[in-house]
Amino acid sequence: MDFIISLAIASLFAIGIYQLLRRNVIRSALGLVIISNAINLFLLAIGAYDGTVQSYAKAIGVRSDALPLALILTAIVISMGGFAFTLAMLYIVMRRYKTADIDAITELKN
Amino acid sequence: MPSHTDKNRYWGWALAMGPIAAWMWFAAQLPAISAGDKLKFGLNWLPSLGLQASFALDGLGLLFALLITGIGALVLIYAGYYFTPHTSHVHPTSHPPASPAGFRFYAYILLFMLCMLGVVTAGDVITLFVFWEGTSIVSFLLVAYKYKDAEARRGATKALVITGGGGVALLAGLLLLANVAGSTQLSEIMAQAAKIKASPLYPVIVGLVAMGAFTKSAQFPAHHWLPNAMSAPTPASAYLHSATMVKAGIYLMARLSPALGGTELWFGLLVGAGFITMLLGAVKGLFQQDLKAVLAYSTISQLGVLMMLIGWGTSASMKALAVGTLAHALYKGAMFLMAGIVDHSAHTRDLPDLRGLGLRQTMPRTFAITILPALSMAGLPPLFGFLGKETLLAAVAEHSVTPLGVGVVLAGALTLAQAAMLLLDTFSRPKANAKNTLHPHDPQLGFLLGPAVLGGLSLLIAFDWLLPAGPITSLVASAAKAAYGDKVKVNLALYQGINLPLMLSAVAIVVGFGIAQYRHWLRRRLAKVWLLQPVRLDAAYRAFLQLLGDGGRLATNLQSGSIRTYLAYMFLGFGLLTLWFGAWQWPRNVNLFLIEDQPLQLLRVFSVLLAVAAALASVIARRDLTAIIALGASGLGVALVIALEPSPDVALVQVIVDILTTLILVLAMGRLPAQMRDTAYKIERQETWWVRVRNFAIAGGAGLFMFMLCFNALSSRPRTSIVTPYYEQQSKPLTGAADIVGAIVVDFRGFDTMIEITVFGVAGSAIYSLLRYAAKKHGDDDDEVRELSDAAPIMTLTSRGIGGLVPSAMVQMAAKLVLPLSIVVAFVHMIYGHGRPGDGFTAGVIVAIAIGLMNLAFGHAETFRRLPWLRPGYLIGSGWLIVMIGSLLPMLWGQPFFSPFDFGVWLNLPLPYDASLSASFLFEIAICFTVIGSASWMLQTLSKF
Repeated sequence: MDFIISLAIASLFAIGIYQLLRRNVIRSALGLVIISNAINLFLLAIGAYDGTVQSYAKAIGVRSDALPLALILTAIVISMGGFAFTLAMLYIVMRRYKTADIDAITELKN
Repeated sequence: MPSHTDKNRYWGWALAMGPIAAWMWFAAQLPAISAGDKLKFGLNWLPSLGLQASFALDGLGLLFALLITGIGALVLIYAGYYFTPHTSHVHPTSHPPASPAGFRFYAYILLFMLCMLGVVTAGDVITLFVFWEGTSIVSFLLVAYKYKDAEARRGATKALVITGGGGVALLAGLLLLANVAGSTQLSEIMAQAAKIKASPLYPVIVGLVAMGAFTKSAQFPAHHWLPNAMSAPTPASAYLHSATMVKAGIYLMARLSPALGGTELWFGLLVGAGFITMLLGAVKGLFQQDLKAVLAYSTISQLGVLMMLIGWGTSASMKALAVGTLAHALYKGAMFLMAGIVDHSAHTRDLPDLRGLGLRQTMPRTFAITILPALSMAGLPPLFGFLGKETLLAAVAEHSVTPLGVGVVLAGALTLAQAAMLLLDTFSRPKANAKNTLHPHDPQLGFLLGPAVLGGLSLLIAFDWLLPAGPITSLVASAAKAAYGDKVKVNLALYQGINLPLMLSAVAIVVGFGIAQYRHWLRRRLAKVWLLQPVRLDAAYRAFLQLLGDGGRLATNLQSGSIRTYLAYMFLGFGLLTLWFGAWQWPRNVNLFLIEDQPLQLLRVFSVLLAVAAALASVIARRDLTAIIALGASGLGVALVIALEPSPDVALVQVIVDILTTLILVLAMGRLPAQMRDTAYKIERQETWWVRVRNFAIAGGAGLFMFMLCFNALSSRPRTSIVTPYYEQQSKPLTGAADIVGAIVVDFRGFDTMIEITVFGVAGSAIYSLLRYAAKKHGDDDDEVRELSDAAPIMTLTSRGIGGLVPSAMVQMAAKLVLPLSIVVAFVHMIYGHGRPGDGFTAGVIVAIAIGLMNLAFGHAETFRRLPWLRPGYLIGSGWLIVMIGSLLPMLWGQPFFSPFDFGVWLNLPLPYDASLSASFLFEIAICFTVIGSASWMLQTLSKF
């Protein structure tokens, strides 16, 4: 299972990077979400226990590892906030330059 | 009534009282120090790093401390007059700045005095270094004192670059030294001398420390900052660049001499550099035009002598070092102060323009006072400078006359010629045809106090040997002892019989007078010698600055602003590092496609597959909307994986966030003109195959790297956790929450979560302000401008959804129904969140999505009209306030900040089963408020602007 999940994370990551490299700003933005999904999956996968029951105090059986889950919970929220902000910025840039082509936006440096 | 110019003088006198008191204190320590005592004082600074700010005073430190405080006091008094422009004057503009600037000078000088005292009394290398750097910085400020002058700024930068660069080397050297010796304490380092010299790091340490000392003390080839530093006000030059700061390097080497000295390397390095510096300074000083430049080069020469003596390392040379340091500080300080007085009165320091200042009508008193230090500089008896040269020659000629001895005699002769030049060319009768447009006159007596005292001391202390237990003799003896590491016999009698040093001294004097006689001819000749041109070293310095500039430009150019370039660099770097460290091996004997026999494993494979396939679809999809929906599906796939972990709480959050993200994307995309999106799509279609291959390669490389990382991490991860069991056992007893993940988020790591919701709240309000600002600034879309203006009647906008369409009544009805329902769901989530799936965040997003639906159905203006309580800013703020109250309240009962506290139990409230009114419940409410505020703000803003 480690192999399959690694393959999946790597594929998601590669897809995200590929999206990020595109000239179309909208698709670029999608890349960010895919990358953060890949990272969250990775955090989930490194949990020490292969749990069969949810991580509740009264649960009986092998509980899933609560620590990475708590980390993911925070990561999901933060990346969502960050993504929304990035999107707003991209939106303004697109409006300002009247194009969704990243390569056409050259005046942002300096 | 004293004018402000007079005040300056009083300030000089008043401020000098501090250093005078310090001088007296130091002087009072002399008997104890010379008896062999060592004063120590330590302060724990960073005990965890074993750092102590410690101070120690021994003979060497005392000698320097007396010079620093004594000359410092005189310089302060002198500066009071120096910064007072005088009234009867021809060119008032060419004067040093008046009183307000003078105070800046006092501040710098006092700061410098503190740093310098710190250097010479530091008991450990770290303290020493800190003060050492302080002196470099103050020196920079003083050289750039007339900061409007480009020359002064250049000189200051040069001084800082060279001494600062040396400082970096010194720090490295001292840290290595402390590491080898096992202690930062100087006393301990001395005790470990044998170990240090045997260490393989010894040459590195000596090289680095010498770099620091050589740059500071203007040794060849780093000497050339000192003449440029002469743009400092003259009192500063006298104090820093002659008497004290430039001797810091000498002090450091003398201080470390017992620990590092006595080896071939030490001898070669110090004597070599010192010898070259000595001759270079002596020769170059002879043909300078500027009084201060002559003094600067003669200072360089003398510093070379002192450095050489330390390298020599015999008891006689250490004695010569102590005597030489003292003699030089006294006469050179006085000479510099004289140069300042001449400049102040005659408005020029150029030797060809000066002459005849010693005449009766001009500056006879100044002339008379200059005679003593000039004679001392020339090394003539019966002044202390003579003793300096005598002890130097004795050290050099201890065994035989070597080429070094010849060099020293020559340097002595040249120094004598310089002294003669300074005295005669400034003060003697002018040639008949010389134009004399100057109207110089003697300054006030107080102005002459500094040079008079220093010159008088040069004479007085030369007769110290007549006293039974001369204080100077014992000071020199204890200073030399500290530098030598053992007792040094000192006899400072002026006449010790006819011996080799005396004969060499006589030779030097005769040769010196000869040179002085032909000095004008020599000056003309020397000025043409190619080897002595100042250009080459300066070119090296400029080349260095150029290199820095080029490096900066290269770095700027690398920042191309193109995300492709950045990602390519990053993953190339990652890949190389992975290969370099050989961090990855292909696992052997592992069945790669093994799917362990666990429940729901196949379902997991399926959901992972879903996530990847949907993500892939978002790449391929032709329409943006399709791509966004595919992305949402991919996120749901991830949520499924999480749910199968099993972890319903996190899966819930992932689902909710996924929906919110999709919604925001759709809204944002909906605001963009369709034509713009179309163009972007077409441009992409026209990309060349090379671009596609390149993107594919970067992405593929990134994926490969990620795969290596993941697989390595996953197959080697520990299968038991150290931290998790603690949370599992403690969450119920400590927080009362059965949901461990929830307990970690709102209790154990509550502080993180507080920051998290702050970030989330900030994101919402930032999006709002950003888009509002942009809409105001580039309000180019007619429809939006109208929508934005407050004057527009609300009724025209009612019941218009996204894009101005009117949704069906069914959707509007649903939206109306969903909102109250969502609030109930949210509330349940919060109450039972600590024992069941769900938490404040989920609750908040659920409500926000319901509000989003309202938006969709009615348009934002109508939504706001229907929901008067929806004030995102207030919601975010109140959420934060509740967190603060909830986390601070327990402190009233003596609990720590953010501790779980059950208000329900405390108030004895009858609560329904499994519900509680604890601090974490308050926290959940707070999270919910913030999230509703922020998320609805995002939705509103994106649909509005």
